[in-house]
Amino acid sequence: MREGTQTSKTRLPALERLREINRAFPDAEQLRELKRSGGRIFGWLCTYTPEEVIHAAGILPVRIVGYPQETDLDDGTAYLYVNSCSFSRSCFQLAIRGQYDFLDGVVGGSTCDGVRRLFDLWRHYMDTPFYHVLNIPRKYTEKAHRLYYDEVLKFKAHLEDWLGQGISDDSLLDSVHLYNESRRLLRELYDLRRVDAPAVTGAETLEVMNASFRMPKETFNQWLQELLSEIKLSVRAHANRVRVMVVGSVLTNADFIRSIEEVGGLVVADELCTGTRYWGDPVVLDGKTPLLEAISRRYLGNFPCARMYPSDERFNRIIQTAHDFRVDGVISQNIRYCVPYCHDLPLLTQRLKAEGKPTLALDVEYGTAGSGQIRTRVQAFLEMLEARKR
Amino acid sequence: MTGHAEARTPETNKVRAIVRACRLISRMNRLRPDVTRSENLYYQMLSDYFTRLLDARNNGDFIAAHTVFFPAELLYAMDLVPMHTETTTWMTSLFTGECSDLLEAGSALGLASEICTPHRGLAGAFSLGAVPRPDVMLWSNMVCDNTAKSGELIMELAHCPGFFIDHPFKDSPEEKQYLVGELEDMVVFLEEHSGRKMNWDRLSEIVARMDRQVQLTREVNELRKSVPSPFGSRRFLELVTMDYLFPGQPAAIEYLETLKQELSDMVAQGKGAVARERFRLMSLFIPPMYLTGFLEKVSQEFGAVSVVEPFFTFWGEGRLDPAHPLESVAQKSYMLPEMRMYGPLDDRALDAITSCAREYRIDGAIYYADVGCRHTCATIKLFKDTLSEVDVPVLTLDCDVVDPTLTSQDEIREKLERFFELLEDR
Amino acid sequence: MKTAGIDIGSLTTKAVVLGDDGAVFSATASTGDDRGQAARQTLQAALAEAGSGLGEDLYLVSTGAGGRALAFSQLQKAITTCLARGIHHQLPSTRMVIDIGAESCTVVKLNHRGRVDDWASHDKCAAGTGIFLQQMSRLMQLSLEEMSVLSRRAKGRADITSTCAVFAESDAISHVHRDPPTPTEDIIAGIYHSVVSRIVSLCKRVGIEKDVAVAGGVALNEGIVRALSEAVGFAVIVPEDPRITAAVGAAVLARESMEKGMS
Repeated sequence: MREGTQTSKTRLPALERLREINRAFPDAEQLRELKRSGGRIFGWLCTYTPEEVIHAAGILPVRIVGYPQETDLDDGTAYLYVNSCSFSRSCFQLAIRGQYDFLDGVVGGSTCDGVRRLFDLWRHYMDTPFYHVLNIPRKYTEKAHRLYYDEVLKFKAHLEDWLGQGISDDSLLDSVHLYNESRRLLRELYDLRRVDAPAVTGAETLEVMNASFRMPKETFNQWLQELLSEIKLSVRAHANRVRVMVVGSVLTNADFIRSIEEVGGLVVADELCTGTRYWGDPVVLDGKTPLLEAISRRYLGNFPCARMYPSDERFNRIIQTAHDFRVDGVISQNIRYCVPYCHDLPLLTQRLKAEGKPTLALDVEYGTAGSGQIRTRVQAFLEMLEARKR
Repeated sequence: MTGHAEARTPETNKVRAIVRACRLISRMNRLRPDVTRSENLYYQMLSDYFTRLLDARNNGDFIAAHTVFFPAELLYAMDLVPMHTETTTWMTSLFTGECSDLLEAGSALGLASEICTPHRGLAGAFSLGAVPRPDVMLWSNMVCDNTAKSGELIMELAHCPGFFIDHPFKDSPEEKQYLVGELEDMVVFLEEHSGRKMNWDRLSEIVARMDRQVQLTREVNELRKSVPSPFGSRRFLELVTMDYLFPGQPAAIEYLETLKQELSDMVAQGKGAVARERFRLMSLFIPPMYLTGFLEKVSQEFGAVSVVEPFFTFWGEGRLDPAHPLESVAQKSYMLPEMRMYGPLDDRALDAITSCAREYRIDGAIYYADVGCRHTCATIKLFKDTLSEVDVPVLTLDCDVVDPTLTSQDEIREKLERFFELLEDR
Repeated sequence: MKTAGIDIGSLTTKAVVLGDDGAVFSATASTGDDRGQAARQTLQAALAEAGSGLGEDLYLVSTGAGGRALAFSQLQKAITTCLARGIHHQLPSTRMVIDIGAESCTVVKLNHRGRVDDWASHDKCAAGTGIFLQQMSRLMQLSLEEMSVLSRRAKGRADITSTCAVFAESDAISHVHRDPPTPTEDIIAGIYHSVVSRIVSLCKRVGIEKDVAVAGGVALNEGIVRALSEAVGFAVIVPEDPRITAAVGAAVLARESMEKGMS
């Protein structure tokens, strides 16, 4: 296996600042400071929850995640049982151990069984003041869009009722612009990896993503802008690597990506809930559609989660991305017991194969760093892909 | 990926095996004086259902395969032949004692072992050609991700078109309206593919009967409150199957009316399902299919009867109106026992458990923790805590609903013995 | 009439005779191949301790793996019921007892009357049981006592999985062969942690409640008991003879049964 090359000027101060945000979460000083000064924070899951609505209400939305690495999940397992996905158990354990006590509210959707039950138990065992679950349709039809618009309207009304004040259209518009700007900047970051020798690795990208959903967007946008400048000014280039796309649901441990990138691969694209699926599409403001409807449409039609029907929508987008980023192969990291993604695997693998993209399927637990057996399999896969290239 | 081969050999044709088993049981039952008329009716109904399925191709009928909780009323109204996919897997396990070939075939397709056995088995059944090839595949997200994701794979395996019904999470008017819209779209889909028109009059009749069916089930449930309880644990699957396979069908009405009379008579005579009733149990989730006989023996030995299953035989409130057939079909889906576990687990669902515990004078509850069923197992602790508020202990039995290799009968027996001792000691 | 209890485990048989004042007379022997024989001998020894002989009237309750097949017991009770009664007799403040046996680990929640409220057990695998500790003792070439003493000196703790005994063993081996090798005390600490983790996750399934007691042969291992106390965050208690807890419970049940029969 040829060694990848990397040039020396690699320090990125903006990236270091973003890493700092990730280090202590959820017990982050910035969040505690925000609460002390009277600010409010809502936790949310998944990519279908309309963050702009929360933001427009003057509340900081942070994504609910589990532990940053694989860990003993005794408490999570005691509540959600041993066969719930480790992501839901990890999140719940943090909650039941008080790490999410700072949240003023939780908002989620009826996305999948794991999250559904996470929210059911959260409601009964936690004391979070505001609680709302949206019904997320599984289709993209006009009727489904209308229903989701109605759901988002209800969510907004519930939030206004709880706050005791309205959320103005102006605030919403500001929030949409802010979030669209984030999405644009993240797309720019991702686009840096289209080239042959990308300046930024998949692991670094994931670290940026992690920070994006746990800090004020205003600051994030600024730091990301600075990061993009720093990258452009640097002479970083990761060349001669096997180009890999990682697919699957939630992934927050950048060490997993790092372990792929340490054995000759470079993760140039992904489809992860904590990656591409997060920034996906922008909210389209066409001047005709009511603002809230524009928001609900964006969220329902965004880069699909495996729960959506038909699966082809998700498959097509993955294939498009795989072609756009000229990946050599795909690594599917499937969290054990994650039904929607595991169920998709046979058909997805088949489709990718037809497009000339081999797939490596890895059974993982949420938070895994990708050591030992996983690393060995990844290395073997990458060597095979490299051999095909020659 | 293998395509679908026509079921030829008796060994692989599971539907034929089920029919044979039902006929055999019917013959054996006729020789036993203690077997009730309702039970005989039940096996006859099963036999008819699966025989109709078996002969469908030759009769030029249109086979509509569908997943659990899918409103088969609509299929009956269009005179299509329904094939309930999960039941086919269960019944295979129930009547033949195992379905390992189906499960292996499902795994061979690349389905992870975490995909629950009824769904892995049914995918395997289609890939093996062990069940008749359907003309359409119909499914919904009731009540879990496994069901929601099973349809597309079946469509590939069976080379047939399909329709997915997106069932909303909550029961607001807008969500109910959306569901009606889904049903309307499905009717259009079926009319296009089957070449038959929906018979709305017939659907109204079916809805009227379905309303009566739910009422009768409620009345049967009332009778089960008696001490001693007249209806055995073994037979609760019959009540469940009435809606799965025969919603709004005349045979279901006959069965329920017969059963209700039989139970009334038993209650009048003070007779119970077991010789000496010692423990009244609540069952949470389904006992493993292949253990039915074994659990019946244990039940008789220890005098333990499952008198209520809140999420399987206990219907939610509401009536069905034949004047609004499609709205009623949608309404019924919200009333289904298991659907109350799907939608947000609010106090309504938990109150249903505690009120059942009180009204049925429950001594203990058994939670059949099916390893493949994530969303039910995630409620074990919550239900345990809820039931402890009314002082009802809960036994958790790790098992699989169709795969016998997971837990041995000895282990289960030991756990049950410990539990009965616990109950006795109180 | 004397009342007695006998716990026929896969490795050892324990017999207890209850004196009139609730005093406990016990005997222990290895089960061997003939369970009936082991039962008779152990019972005889316990009776001798109590100053009686086998010929006297005896109400006997049996439990444990071999409890069912015992021909000469009057009653057979589940191990969970016996553990609850037994620990209640030995340490009445107990609300949760952890029985770490040779081949299985059982956690029983009991109420203030010594009645079982709930339980959980690991029967399928060796992780978290006595057999695993013996395996490790052979691997480290140290007796169980030596391991326990050494564990006091541990400054760190080797990372050893708690998921599976086979993987745990290979983790331990790799620590022994590491260069430089992980200190023995730390490996032992890691082994104990792995055992204790399994036990604690079992406890959480039924909900930890003080006082927590430990029974079974492994409870004599101070190192494990200390590790368990650390893991739950408070001191767990151990009865004077933890090996006979279930047999004590069986004997108490015998007395209850006899008293019920007389009334």
